[in-house]
Amino acid sequence: MSTVLGEFADDRALLAAARALRADGRKGLDLHTPYPIHGAEEALGLPRSTVPKLALAAGLTGAVTGYGLQWFVNAYDWAYNVGNRPPHSPPAFIPVTFELGVLFAALGIFFGLLFAYFRFPRVHHPVFEVDAFRSATIDGLWLSADVPAAEAAAVAESLRKLGARQVSVVAEEVAP
Amino acid sequence: MSTAPDKLPVPDPLESTPVLVGRPDDRALTESLLRPISTPPGKGWKAMMGVLALGVGLWLVCLYKVMFEGIGVWGNNIPVGWAYDITNFVWWIGIGHAGTLISAILLLFQQKWRTSINRFAEAMTLFAVAMAGMYPIIHLGRPWLFWWLIPYPSTTQMWPNFKSALPWDVFAISTYATVSLLFWYLGLIPDLATARDAATSRVKRIVYGVFSFGWRGSARHWQHWRIGYLLLAGLSTPLVLSVHTIVSFDFAIGNLPGWHTTIFPPYFVAGAIFSGFAMVLTLMIPARKVFGFEHVVTQRHLDNMAKVTLATGLMVSYGYAMEWFIAWYSGSEFEWFAFANRVTGPYQLVYAMQIFCNVVAPQALWFPKVRNNVLALFVIAVLVNFGMWAERFVIIAISLHRDFIPSSWSMYAPTWVDWGTLFGSMATFGFLFMLFLKFVPAIPISEVKELRRELEHEDHHHARPAAQGGHR
Repeated sequence: MSTVLGEFADDRALLAAARALRADGRKGLDLHTPYPIHGAEEALGLPRSTVPKLALAAGLTGAVTGYGLQWFVNAYDWAYNVGNRPPHSPPAFIPVTFELGVLFAALGIFFGLLFAYFRFPRVHHPVFEVDAFRSATIDGLWLSADVPAAEAAAVAESLRKLGARQVSVVAEEVAP
Repeated sequence: MSTAPDKLPVPDPLESTPVLVGRPDDRALTESLLRPISTPPGKGWKAMMGVLALGVGLWLVCLYKVMFEGIGVWGNNIPVGWAYDITNFVWWIGIGHAGTLISAILLLFQQKWRTSINRFAEAMTLFAVAMAGMYPIIHLGRPWLFWWLIPYPSTTQMWPNFKSALPWDVFAISTYATVSLLFWYLGLIPDLATARDAATSRVKRIVYGVFSFGWRGSARHWQHWRIGYLLLAGLSTPLVLSVHTIVSFDFAIGNLPGWHTTIFPPYFVAGAIFSGFAMVLTLMIPARKVFGFEHVVTQRHLDNMAKVTLATGLMVSYGYAMEWFIAWYSGSEFEWFAFANRVTGPYQLVYAMQIFCNVVAPQALWFPKVRNNVLALFVIAVLVNFGMWAERFVIIAISLHRDFIPSSWSMYAPTWVDWGTLFGSMATFGFLFMLFLKFVPAIPISEVKELRRELEHEDHHHARPAAQGGHR
């Protein structure tokens, strides 16, 4: 597999190129931009993000853990009479239940994004082989396509036709 | 849609000052926003760090005294068991709250002016919470046993009592610190990657490369990043309200006159935002000047922050008035005495300072002239910081020093260690903040670029002539 990179002058050309390649049946397309580009999801045909579901699941886990913990320690394992409050006092258990729900949801979102969605840390990636790609976090609008090595030249040519200012091909090293 | 050419755009009087001066291109924006971290530290920065390092030293000495000699080195004694330590704790945690408000609540309300100041405010939150968290721990007396507060199966077979507000505090503060850190860092990853790619030296490239985890601006990543960032904002918003509510429960569920009141949760939250915005102004006014951020942190930002300060100041003033009303209306002579003692008692000057700084001084912010005068704004912000510290001292120490039985009355006087832990924590906060300004992109670069694009779109839609293009 090779990675073909093309840099575009503006986001309209970038999105049009992504749509055109996708219409050709190309898979493994991605855009690399310094800020989120409106319309990128639609151009690449990305499904809806599942992060909200992950957050909900993590948050509910946290809340149940929080309530369960308080019930276990104060109502079950060590039912201790303080100020004659009942050992199982739901109103008093609300704050910690809420806090742990938020904590778990936030941890789930952050580490879920980092490890499951982004597959980070990944400081080595074919796109970083191209020196000019450094502009992708500054002012460059890039399109990348992972294609079989034999088709790389053709994809590079079509990127040029679609208006790319510069095109590079990164051939992946074949393990001996 | 203003397609009709005869229809002239009506300038919006509320939008007159720009949130971004000019329309610099992405490379120019990157360059200007990274300048503080890409250039070697100046003499001023080094001198400031030197001064602050002395304060950090004082702080460490005081912490050493508190830990190795015990909390008797403070002026606290029965009946005033909580004094500077808890005052400082509540003050710092309140300061932190504005950071979350700016970054989370204003994000949810899609306030454009939040964009260039959110990172700065979040960093303030982090360091303020770090300072705040120290106080309850050292106030334990045996801080090396702080983990007894965490429920874990210990050999003593004892568990924390969750029917008390103090274990709630443990969970609230630690959750708040963690969520603030994650929110801050998630927003920072794309900018660390920008710093990596704009770096001129190999060392910087490697360091920023490690901390940005290999961010490559992928559209797939941006998609999830945006949702995750928005969700963290959504979670932080109720969290910030819950944290100061729980802090206020520490007092409100006690039966001490001056503490035992139902108005505390909203009144504490308003006070927290009030003091936090004042602190953002206190820090931002010098920083934007020194680091050349005036094109992204404009008069508009200062003006809006001043308005929020005024609004929350009025809420706080309402809280003060309502406390007096309830003290009278409750018919409880102890409650009434607690308030009368604030005005006529031995600490009346602190109460006068509270009222002057929090109620009187912010009224100047009604006038646009004052809001547009950077120096006046700075002075008012500093006054509010003092005033809010005084408020917490009034609530905590003055309520404690004279409660129900005159035979148990006593006076509290701070020792040099009390002052040292307060000023030392300010210096440590400043020290950390200066490090942040020097090594981390303090203005969210990717978000400012996105903002610039949005504004360009608006310019386009409003069909303004090019000469006025940079109006907003």
